[in-house]
Amino acid sequence: MQFSKKDEYRKYFVERFGVPPEIMDRYHFYERGKKVWAFTGEIVEIENIEALGIRALSLGRGIKPSTAFLRIIGKYATKNIIVLEEKEAEAYMRGEDIEKDFPVKPGYIIVRSRNDILGCGLYKGKLINQIPKKYRMMDTWV
Amino acid sequence: MEEEKIEYFFQYESIIPEFEKFIAALKTPQPYWIRVNTIKMEEKELIERLESKGFKFERFKELNAYKILNMPVKHPGATLEHSLGYYYVQDLSSMAPVLALEPKEGEKILDMAAAPGSKTTMIAEIMRNKGTIVANDISFSRLRSLGGNIERLGITNVILTRRDARKDSFGAKFDKILIDAPCSGEGVVRKNPWGFKPAGEREHRYLREQQIRMLKNAQKHIKEGGIIVYSTCTFHPLENESVVEFGIEKWGLRALEFKLPIPHLKGVEEWNGEKYENHKFHKRIYPHMVDTGGMFIAVLQKR
Repeated sequence: MQFSKKDEYRKYFVERFGVPPEIMDRYHFYERGKKVWAFTGEIVEIENIEALGIRALSLGRGIKPSTAFLRIIGKYATKNIIVLEEKEAEAYMRGEDIEKDFPVKPGYIIVRSRNDILGCGLYKGKLINQIPKKYRMMDTWV
Repeated sequence: MEEEKIEYFFQYESIIPEFEKFIAALKTPQPYWIRVNTIKMEEKELIERLESKGFKFERFKELNAYKILNMPVKHPGATLEHSLGYYYVQDLSSMAPVLALEPKEGEKILDMAAAPGSKTTMIAEIMRNKGTIVANDISFSRLRSLGGNIERLGITNVILTRRDARKDSFGAKFDKILIDAPCSGEGVVRKNPWGFKPAGEREHRYLREQQIRMLKNAQKHIKEGGIIVYSTCTFHPLENESVVEFGIEKWGLRALEFKLPIPHLKGVEEWNGEKYENHKFHKRIYPHMVDTGGMFIAVLQKR
C-alpha cells in the first residue's frame, strides 16, 4: 500500500488544538490505509517503506490524534487542553480515567501536567484514558 | 560470567593492551548510561529531575552521556520520564559511531542496520529532526522496536524500511552511511553474559562475508566524497580491520582520520598473519578503558 501526501490534515491540529499554522507547516502528512503519518524529511523512492516519520492520526469513524504526535506539538497548543494535578497525572499515566468536569469541548483533547504533555485523552463529561499500554506507568516505576 | 566464556577472550591477549584489566572488566557488570533526548528536554533539567527521584549520575566530559551511579529502580527505563521520551538508555561506546559520523542538519543519511534505534535516534537528535534518515533493518520484529523508539523519542525525519542491506537498493545516494554491522557481539558480553555465545572461526568468517556485502552495497549508495562509518561491537579483527581493508583495496575507499572524544586505541595491525595497513586510522574502545562495552569504528570515504 502506498503513502499518499495529504497536507490538509494540518488543519485538524490548527482547528482542534489551536496549534499555529507555521508550526504545522513543518510537517508533511502522508496517509496509508487508516493511518496518517507526520514527516519532516525528504521522500526517498524506496520499496518496502514501513513508516514515514511518526504516526499522527488514526482514521475510523472520526479522526483520532496519536499520543506520540501530541507529545511533540502539544506544547504549542492553545485550546482543548486538560491540565492535571500531580496525583491525577500519575493515575492517568497508570491508565485510569479521571472522573471530573473540565472546561473543554467534548472529543479528543491534549492531557498535560506541569510542562509534560502526557498525550491524548477523550473528554465526554469525564476524561477517558487514551494512553497506549506501552507508555503506561507500572507500580515499580518512579 | 562462566570461566569458559572468559577463556574465549584469551585469544585476544596479544592485541588488547592491559589485558588483565580487560579480563577484570569483563567479570564485572556493565553500568548503564543514558543520553538525554534534547529534542524534548534540556540535559540539565532532566538530570536534576531524575536526581530528585533518587538517581545519581556522572557526566562524561562535555558529552550528552551520563553514567548511572545509583538508581531507585531495577531498570533505568522504569520512569515516567523514559515513557515520555526524555532519554534513551545507551552505552557510551554505542555513541561513538554516531560521533564519528558527525551528522549535520539537512543531510541525507542511511543507517543500514538500525534496530533497535540507539544510533538512529541519536543521529536524528543531533540533526534536530531536519534532513532525512533512512533507517533500515531486515527483521520485522526488530523494526517494531526501532519504530517504537522513534515514536517515543518524537523523531519525525526517519523513513523506516525493511530491506536486505547486503543487496537491496535504497533508491538514492546518501551524504553519509552508517553500517553498524551485525556481528558476533563480543563487546556487549558484560551487558548480557548469559546470552553470549562464543563464536568459532567459521562463524567469524561467515559474518565477515555478510559485513563485506553490506559495505559493497553501501559504497554503491554513497555520494562522491561522502563518508561511510563502519562499526561493530565485537573485537575479532576478521569482522573489523579485515572487512575495512577489503573495502579499501577492492573499491578504492579511503580510510580517514577522525576525532573521538571517548578514550580509545588504534586498530589492530596484524592478526593471524594478515596485516592491516590502515589500522592507524581505525579506533577501538575496550570495556576497561571507561567502563563501557566494546566497539570498533572506521571512517571511509568514497573517492
